[in-house]
Amino acid sequence: MIHLNNIDKYYDSKFQRTFVLKAVNLEVKEGEFVSIMGPSGSGKSTLLNIIGLLDAPSAGEYSLYDKSVLDLKEKAKVDYHRNFMGFIFQAYHLIEEMTVYENIETPLIYKGVKSRDRQAMVADLLDRFNMVAKKDLFPQQLSGGQQQLVGIARAIIGKPKLLLADEPTGNLQSVQGEMIMETLQQLNNEGMTIIQVTHNEKFAEYGKRIIRLEDGIIRKDVASKIVFSI
Amino acid sequence: MLKHYIKIAFRNLFRQKRLALINILGLSIGLACFSLFSLFTVNEFSFDRFNAKASRIYRVYDWWSFSDRQGSEPSSATPLGPAMKQDLAEVEDFVRINSAGEKLIRTGNQINRIKVSFADPQLFSIFTFPLIEGNAATALESPKHIVLTRDKAIQLFGKTDVVGRTVEIRTGDQFEPFEVGAVAENIPVNSSIRFDILGNFNYVLNSDYGRASINDWNMTIGISVYVLLHEKSKLMNETARLAEFRQKYFPGETEKNNDGSPTNGFGLQPLPDVHTGVNIDKWGASDPKNSWILISIAIGVLLIACINFITLAISRSAGRSKEVGIRKVIGGHRYQLIYQFLSESLLLSVISAVIGLILGYALLPFFNELSGRSLSFSFSQYPEMIGILSGIVLLVGLISGIYPALAISGFQPSEVLKRKLRFSGSNFFTKSLVSFQFVLSIGLIISMVVIMRQLAFMRSKDLGFYKENVVMIDTQSLDIQKNYPVFKQTLKSESSLLGIAGSVIGLGNGEGQMGRGYKFENRVETVIEYPIDYDFLEVLGMQLVAGRNFNPEIASDAISSVIVNETLVRNALGTNPEEALGKEFTSGKEGNRKVIIGVTRDFNFEDLTRTVRSQMFLFPSNFKPNALFVRINPGDPSKALAVLTAAWKTISSDLPIKYSFLDQKFDDFYQKEKRWSNIVAWAGGICIFLACMGLVGLTSLAVINRSTEIGIRKVNGARISEVMAMLNRDFVKWVAIAFVIATPIAWYAMHKWLESFAYKTELSWWIFALAGLLALGIALLTVSWQSWKAATRNPVEALKYE
Repeated sequence: MIHLNNIDKYYDSKFQRTFVLKAVNLEVKEGEFVSIMGPSGSGKSTLLNIIGLLDAPSAGEYSLYDKSVLDLKEKAKVDYHRNFMGFIFQAYHLIEEMTVYENIETPLIYKGVKSRDRQAMVADLLDRFNMVAKKDLFPQQLSGGQQQLVGIARAIIGKPKLLLADEPTGNLQSVQGEMIMETLQQLNNEGMTIIQVTHNEKFAEYGKRIIRLEDGIIRKDVASKIVFSI
Repeated sequence: MLKHYIKIAFRNLFRQKRLALINILGLSIGLACFSLFSLFTVNEFSFDRFNAKASRIYRVYDWWSFSDRQGSEPSSATPLGPAMKQDLAEVEDFVRINSAGEKLIRTGNQINRIKVSFADPQLFSIFTFPLIEGNAATALESPKHIVLTRDKAIQLFGKTDVVGRTVEIRTGDQFEPFEVGAVAENIPVNSSIRFDILGNFNYVLNSDYGRASINDWNMTIGISVYVLLHEKSKLMNETARLAEFRQKYFPGETEKNNDGSPTNGFGLQPLPDVHTGVNIDKWGASDPKNSWILISIAIGVLLIACINFITLAISRSAGRSKEVGIRKVIGGHRYQLIYQFLSESLLLSVISAVIGLILGYALLPFFNELSGRSLSFSFSQYPEMIGILSGIVLLVGLISGIYPALAISGFQPSEVLKRKLRFSGSNFFTKSLVSFQFVLSIGLIISMVVIMRQLAFMRSKDLGFYKENVVMIDTQSLDIQKNYPVFKQTLKSESSLLGIAGSVIGLGNGEGQMGRGYKFENRVETVIEYPIDYDFLEVLGMQLVAGRNFNPEIASDAISSVIVNETLVRNALGTNPEEALGKEFTSGKEGNRKVIIGVTRDFNFEDLTRTVRSQMFLFPSNFKPNALFVRINPGDPSKALAVLTAAWKTISSDLPIKYSFLDQKFDDFYQKEKRWSNIVAWAGGICIFLACMGLVGLTSLAVINRSTEIGIRKVNGARISEVMAMLNRDFVKWVAIAFVIATPIAWYAMHKWLESFAYKTELSWWIFALAGLLALGIALLTVSWQSWKAATRNPVEALKYE
């Protein structure tokens, strides 16, 4: 599904070129759950942003389903964001002026889904995440774990094929973190491809495959040891 | 989608209450100004269009075009109207209107002063003035019929159902009965033709001077002639036919310009152009330039409010960048974000419009006073206002919203979501906008100071006579033979009055003038004449620079002696006052001989937009005083007024006394300037207020953005004053730049304005310095209010949350 070939990402300053990613090759198949690990500044988030079409590589090739997605027009990128991938962030990044319900609903509005269908879809997800009672609350009124659940709900409401999670548990206590990871794993079991960036060894193990990044270079790319079964 | 945007916009407004308040308040005030000023303008340009036949009605005017002077004059000779109807087939009808002097009106034992105009009866078939009682055919059936307006009927009779009732009008020394033929609806405010009481023009024609004018093409008794043309007529453009018509009645006009064009002629001015046609009627028409100046000021105020919106939105963009990032990541297209931000600014604009309209409606009476109009906020009367206002609301929303929408929607999600993005609060663009606000504010302050200085200058200028502590009594209604001498004698015996003198014409605003051409040794000069009592010069404190005053003992003084002013001596005789004594000149037609017996220092009986003209005093034997000048002691005038009123009562118990203060009458010359200074002062005040509100918003955001920096500086030993200086420096710099830009523009504009006055104040440098300092001071105070709060804050608080 995802094919990265020789991806470089660098910044030029007056005297030198600083590499964030160097000659990264990566292939992710449909249905995989990949954890990207590495120390701060190793380029994890940049890699994720490139995969999520939020950032462009300085060199290299990137194709989705064998179609190059470099030099896409703005409109085509937006279409990928709407229909193909969902994002989860460490800081949740919910819109503070909107309720839980509205936050989850917004991607559907952008997609142009009809009001009645939207209601049904949001209701389904709220139900699934046990958040029906909280649908009219604002993000600040929720715990971190609950906010992240809303974040996940918002990311998957458009039924994306690919879920990109940038340290989804980074701001959470371990119990809540586990709940989030279990949710992700469940989504993966249902067939969703997931790529997560994490610092946490334990949470990385939820993935089926772990990639270790150091100074912009992939040092290790192995299947994870433990395979949880549900 | 729109519902979604509006919901979010509302929540944003409530979250940022202070910014929302600044924006809404600013835009409301701006829109209130705009709605009032555009109402004024729409009214100016709507004049006379309510007449159903407006497109076919023309005012006839006289024009002259010599190589050295051009001009036109809208008052016509009495026989013009009938002659046009008779000679020119397309002239369907004509009406002569003689407007309007105030007259004493008696109904029962109640006496009022009301203006009385006269017109041919066909006025009601040419113009659209609906009658609420009576009908057009019989409204002015006979010369003794009159038409009242609704208001006047109610004032005189307490009701409108008064056809057939009698109204007495004072003419000469007695009251003459007239019959009410009809009652008209009140005249719309946007009508050039106005009357309170309308008499039949035939009544004027039956008077001595009216009869004399009937066949005289060379004089006017102050009438305007309007003609109604046939549907397809092109007469207004057929100069040849108008010239032919003129030739018939002015066979003596054979003079031609060098290029063969005629030097005099008749012209037809479309009725809708009459009100603003300054090219035809320089003194009577209302200059449309004023409307445009007002609209420009209103647009300036609106622009300042829009700029507040823009600068605040940009400064706040850091706060909204996260939202933009999220929306983009979850599939929002940039144009959808632009729509969202635009709908927010439009929503704000609509809310402000509602508040602004309410504000404008509430301020209308005040504005009417300020502008000297009596406008009403009526969308049915001014349907154009609906379009203008909705257009401006839309425009304001777009102008305010478009730049922030484009700037903010352009953020890249990968940057704003990951990094802690900080903006310095404002950029070059927003700061130049702030400068622009202050350019307007400072410019208006300078203009206001200059206008006020010019007003003060004109009021305090030595006019060459006493205008303070002089009461002018209207004696037109007194019987000259019997009452006047008695009244004057009674007042003379009062020791509390310092002097009494009569004159045929009053002085100051709204009084008439007489003048005619005289033949001097080698040239003809127009001289303004003032027939006066022999003691007039002394009572008004006018100085003789040569010769002597009139003397009632000398018989020739009442026949040929005149006292002239220095200007006449200089212009007409080209000599000095001493030499001028004894010189003679004659009136052009009759050949009456005048001998100069005295020369006065120059004096300004006219307003100070004009230079002193050639003027002279006469002391005629058939002296009929219409005004009596009484000099009283300085201080509280009430005692002197009581004496005057008591004396008046003894000789004329049935008529009320009418007096005015001379200095007031001269001040009244400058009502227009006073209005402008008020309007400019208000606009300037509003501008600077709005600009400062914007500054409050900007500094408070800058302070939030720099709170860590301030904290670190303080921890490292910066003093409060240093922190404040750091925060204030930026804003002060931009106000200073504004001052540099505003000064030459304002200087130029005010220089132009002062050119219309013959006597003017100087544009001293301190006016500009004062305006600059004022703006700077206000800006500094505003900014310091916020920066003080930031600078005195405990640095630990700011650093704790990092």
